[in-house]
Amino acid sequence: MIATLASGVAVLAIGRWPRLQRWGSVAGALAYAAAVAALAWTVVDGGALTYQVGGWDAPFGITLVADALAAFMLAITAVVAVYAAAFSVLFIKPANQRTYYHPLLQFLLLGATGAFLTGDLFNLFVWFEVMLMASYVFVGFYGNDTHTAAAMRYVVLNILGGALMLLAIGGLYATVGTLNLAEMAHLLADPGADVQTAPVVGLTGLLLVTFGLKAGLAPFQFWVPSAYRSAPMPVAAVFAGATKKVGIYAIVRLYFTVLGGVAFTADVPLIPVETAPLAFLAPVLLLMAAASILVGGIGAVAQDRLDGLLAYSSVGQVGFIAVPVALAAATTSPELRHLGILAALIYALHHALTKGLLFLSTAAIRDATGTTEIAALGGIGQRSPTFAGVFLLGSLSLVGIPPLAGFFGKLFVFDAAVTQFASAPTAGAAAVVCVLLAGAVLTIVYSTRAWIGCFWGAQSEAVAAGALERGEVAVLATMAVLLVVVGVGFEPVYGFADAAAEAALDGEGYVEAVDLEGGETA
Amino acid sequence: MTFVIAATVGALFALGTFLLLRDDLVKVVWGLSIITQAANVYLIAMGGIREGTHDLVPILSGHGGEEVPATTDPLVQALVLTAIVISFGMTAFALVLSYRAYQENGTMNVREFAQ
Repeated sequence: MIATLASGVAVLAIGRWPRLQRWGSVAGALAYAAAVAALAWTVVDGGALTYQVGGWDAPFGITLVADALAAFMLAITAVVAVYAAAFSVLFIKPANQRTYYHPLLQFLLLGATGAFLTGDLFNLFVWFEVMLMASYVFVGFYGNDTHTAAAMRYVVLNILGGALMLLAIGGLYATVGTLNLAEMAHLLADPGADVQTAPVVGLTGLLLVTFGLKAGLAPFQFWVPSAYRSAPMPVAAVFAGATKKVGIYAIVRLYFTVLGGVAFTADVPLIPVETAPLAFLAPVLLLMAAASILVGGIGAVAQDRLDGLLAYSSVGQVGFIAVPVALAAATTSPELRHLGILAALIYALHHALTKGLLFLSTAAIRDATGTTEIAALGGIGQRSPTFAGVFLLGSLSLVGIPPLAGFFGKLFVFDAAVTQFASAPTAGAAAVVCVLLAGAVLTIVYSTRAWIGCFWGAQSEAVAAGALERGEVAVLATMAVLLVVVGVGFEPVYGFADAAAEAALDGEGYVEAVDLEGGETA
Repeated sequence: MTFVIAATVGALFALGTFLLLRDDLVKVVWGLSIITQAANVYLIAMGGIREGTHDLVPILSGHGGEEVPATTDPLVQALVLTAIVISFGMTAFALVLSYRAYQENGTMNVREFAQ
């Protein structure tokens, strides 16, 4: 089943050279979504599925694992992918679509899918590279001076990130003696196994750098705005919705599923004694997340172009996803840990949908008016009330107004932060709540600015001259409806996210699912 | 031997980092490729650089048993092979991209690139 999922995407990518490829791409994304839905159904109902590639048993072969966490992330990706593919057909010029665009889009999805499903650390590196290779081309897609410069920076940074990841992988292999994530969890949690755990903290720290780079967290956020501005906008929607989530997913998977059971006493400088990788993660990630929220929010307020504003806002929102993850790492109570992961997952879902909608709306604006400068836009609300309604729904969801998807994202993040504060009222916990509030206020400020600047007031020249394409508005309208549906019918979504958070924390279940009987140590 | 390998990896990283921080785009690409090669050498070293017996090889010591012949760790070699292929592709891509960036920006100086 998982094999059909991955290979289906690959075959579609390669087998569509004729003109049909545009609609083939949409059909491919739909088929992908259907496969993911079927997979999610099975996983949530009946527990994790595994597939030993090539029939080699774990821990020697490469294992693909689909548990609820992976299925949840895949579901997010699938929804964004369908909209991005459909929108690309309408938005990108046919000449630009002709050769490489759609296969690359599928490869981007393939890379993200592989990263979500793999149960092997080195394989994760390979899927990262698959995903990045496609994204490099997208960043440089239009090929003029700013785009090539942005692509160059993006490439240099990610190759460096890849080298760091290789170092960490090599070190972990030498210390733990395996690359299989399940076996790693098993060995590290087993005090009887002769494994030195102290180096693992540092080595996973290296991995955290790479994952943070992928997710665009604060000290590594500087590539995000230029890359997002350069990529074609439907692809920027996929970047924000899927590619960034891979980084977050990897952090959650590595630290909670694999290293969650690890506790040891080691005298590592700067870190409290009787430490665990989670105790190391908590302050670092919390700082990164808080900085992301502030940098992203302030950057977004200062932008004068709509796509730049959304790119910075994306940095801030990833911070919102990372804060509950860090809180979950900081606490020792299982309920709060569960709540933290749950909040992060729900926020990730909301961010993917909302930011996808807003990026695609921006694409529609650019298609109609030829610009994304907020100063040059104005009065779109008069010109097309439907479209204005769609954008308003997106902005409101970003801010977190009740009936929409964003409300629950914000609700759970704040719930986690306040619960943490209530259980341990320290200055740090209070600071977290304050940063979250500041971030929320900044979100309101820049959403309002975008809304007023673009949709209110007299129609500017560009707006009066341009006309929105009906097809694009229709696609966006369905997406806005989806936002409302997720918000109103939140119960099943909550169940799914709950199962995913459960899976993220259940290291033993993960080990069991992978079934290590091929190795004698297991 | 361990010392030699460690010194080599260190020197390669130092050189790569130095080149990476230069203004000239081609030097940056060189630096990248040197750093990835350093990572590869390091990865090979992680499999054990003494003449191998089964208990030196992490993946065999845990699973194989006594009958395994003297051998080096095959896993790291497979990893490095994969990593080399990836880094080769990336270097080629980075070179093509830097040529294109040169055409579009009219300079090889990273500082003068369009923002």
